[in-house]
Amino acid sequence: MKKRILVIDDEKDNASVFSIALEDTGLYEVNSFINPISALSSFRPNAYDLAILDIKMPKMNGYELYEKIKNIDDKIKVCFLTAFGEGYHEEFKRRFQGRRADNSSATHVHFLRKPITIDDLVEKVNEII
Amino acid sequence: MLVTYILLCGYFICTSLASERTEVIYGSDKVMNIIIQFLFNANKISSCGDYKAPSVVFEIEEYKKLLSDIKKRGIKLRYVTDITKDNVKYCRDLIEFFAYDIRHLEGIKANFSVSETEYLASAALLEEQMQQQSSIPIQQVIYSNVRDIVEQQKYVFESFWDKAIPAERRIREIEEGIVSGSTEVIQIPSRTKELFIDLIKSAKQEVLLLFPTVNSFLREERIGIIQLLKEAGSIGRKVRVRVVSPTNNTIEKILQNMQIDKPDNFLDIQRVEETTTTSETNVNTVTILVVDRKASLVIEKVDDSKLDFIDAIGSATYSTSKPTVLSYISIFENLSNQVKLNEKLKTHDKMQKEFINVASHEMKTPTQAIIGYSALVQKHPEKRDEMLSAISRNADRLHKLTNDILDVTRIESQTLSLNKEVINLNDLVIGLIEDFESQIQTEHSNLQILYDGPKSSDNPFLIEADRGRINQCISNLLSNAIKFSANEYSDGDGGTVSITVTKEEKNGNSDNHNIRRIQGEQVRVSISDNGEGIHPEILPRLFTKFATKSETGTGLGLYISKSIIEAHGGRIWAENNKDGEGATFSFTLPLHKKQHQQLPVYRTRVGHKQ
Repeated sequence: MKKRILVIDDEKDNASVFSIALEDTGLYEVNSFINPISALSSFRPNAYDLAILDIKMPKMNGYELYEKIKNIDDKIKVCFLTAFGEGYHEEFKRRFQGRRADNSSATHVHFLRKPITIDDLVEKVNEII
Repeated sequence: MLVTYILLCGYFICTSLASERTEVIYGSDKVMNIIIQFLFNANKISSCGDYKAPSVVFEIEEYKKLLSDIKKRGIKLRYVTDITKDNVKYCRDLIEFFAYDIRHLEGIKANFSVSETEYLASAALLEEQMQQQSSIPIQQVIYSNVRDIVEQQKYVFESFWDKAIPAERRIREIEEGIVSGSTEVIQIPSRTKELFIDLIKSAKQEVLLLFPTVNSFLREERIGIIQLLKEAGSIGRKVRVRVVSPTNNTIEKILQNMQIDKPDNFLDIQRVEETTTTSETNVNTVTILVVDRKASLVIEKVDDSKLDFIDAIGSATYSTSKPTVLSYISIFENLSNQVKLNEKLKTHDKMQKEFINVASHEMKTPTQAIIGYSALVQKHPEKRDEMLSAISRNADRLHKLTNDILDVTRIESQTLSLNKEVINLNDLVIGLIEDFESQIQTEHSNLQILYDGPKSSDNPFLIEADRGRINQCISNLLSNAIKFSANEYSDGDGGTVSITVTKEEKNGNSDNHNIRRIQGEQVRVSISDNGEGIHPEILPRLFTKFATKSETGTGLGLYISKSIIEAHGGRIWAENNKDGEGATFSFTLPLHKKQHQQLPVYRTRVGHKQ
């Protein structure tokens, strides 16, 4: 059975590139959203194996979205994918690296930077899943 | 000082004494007689008197009379005294009206006079005598005409005279307030503590306080200093309190609990990083307090690790002397300026970093789309057109960003040049709307752009401007309006954007009317949307660099637009719509002078971006 991936990126072009690229592998089924709020409202437990989240988004940033998603489905793996600079990575490290020791679900959190080539993205996603 | 009086002698006839003698004379009448005799025999008198002496001459009637006699007889008189704030006016009179040659010797206590042949001294300290009853004549004096004694006293006088400074200098210093105060070293910490507290309590206008270390702040907080500062800075007392201090979390917590940073008090705390204050400079080892620019208290700390104020401090210097207080004020101000400068640099640094972050995000986002689509386009021939147009759209976005960054560079280096020509503003606006409409149809199908203004042929608004730059500015305002009007997530469930082009209405105020006539007439372009309006937080810095609430903006557009409009002699502003949602951005530009002469209308090309 195909693994299911949720892509949330407020840039329509990016959401669509990621979806097409991942579906092209034939391994994944992808649902993409450009609005974190509507993505969240339709989010159900066990619907996805992996969520790829942009961080800088209007209304709700990727970290807030992460917390909400985790509340609904604590087994989902998450990969942040951002074009924003070092500040976000610092925050990522603060948020997640401290947790590793005592929270196994935190090992399912990953961080990637844009721009990323299609090949690299697919390779990383294969690794994660 | 007695001597002084003595000088006055005159017509009283005294018998000169033939034989040499030294004696103590008692009783005011006898004393008076001997004074008169002394003056009568003298041509040159040298006198010393303590700080009380100058006033005594004027306070006691008998002595006052003697003064004018001295003057009449033309006796040459040299006088050494302690000129103070209290006696300065008497000293001035002695110089001015009685031709005294006065010098000042700090703290002199001697009271004697010596002439060519006689010596006269008060036998008791004048100060003591005068403290009880202010105006009784001297009751006992020592008199001598013994040659050796007189010579000896002349010698004593000369040594005082040489040490003393000219009265004029001292008087000037007093009058200019330079020496109006004193300086005192306090060795007893508990006295220092009391003085510290009293000084802040007594403040009427201003308190400057510099804490050298976090610990000194904490110690002084414990003895109630911070509470006193808060009270001084309260609405009731309105003392302007300025504190420079290193801080840490404990201090911040204290300040927070005391609600010291509330905007309605007059207390300003400048935070310094502690590292900058631990360096080995003198300033960092002392607490400096200046109250009302009149008094300073400088407290040396000897052991900063001690928690108790009394244990930690060494000696303190309290001063009301103007030069001393001024030096401490300047030390405080220098430090305070340095702190401000530092803060400015930090803000600048932060903005720079913020810009790099935002700009890099803005570059990477379209780059991601271009990289992605370029890789996918070959595998998906069926989506070829769609992907190519996405690539070109993102390439445009990169291109625009590059231009914006270049524009900002030009603005900041003041090399933004304008190629001015006379253009028809209506045509330019209408052309732009056409451009945008075609773009909108693909992206936000339900969004409407309304135009309210003259059509190109009737009553055109002519301006002398750089077409490309005005185009850029209106495009920017339009695309902002579209961006914030359209609900981005409901596939173009559009709003309305309206553009109004009108002659700027004259203000009802007649003064303004005149000013406007001098400046010439203006055209106004307003662009309104019905989006969510401008966030109040961002409104004050809307036109500054990097101000953005959009997730897809660099915060450069409005900054550039403002620079463009102002370079054309116009004005740009923004406000939230009063009667509902959305915001209106407006700018004015001066109308071309030939506007009113109905010159042949320039048929400008409609403002397409080629």
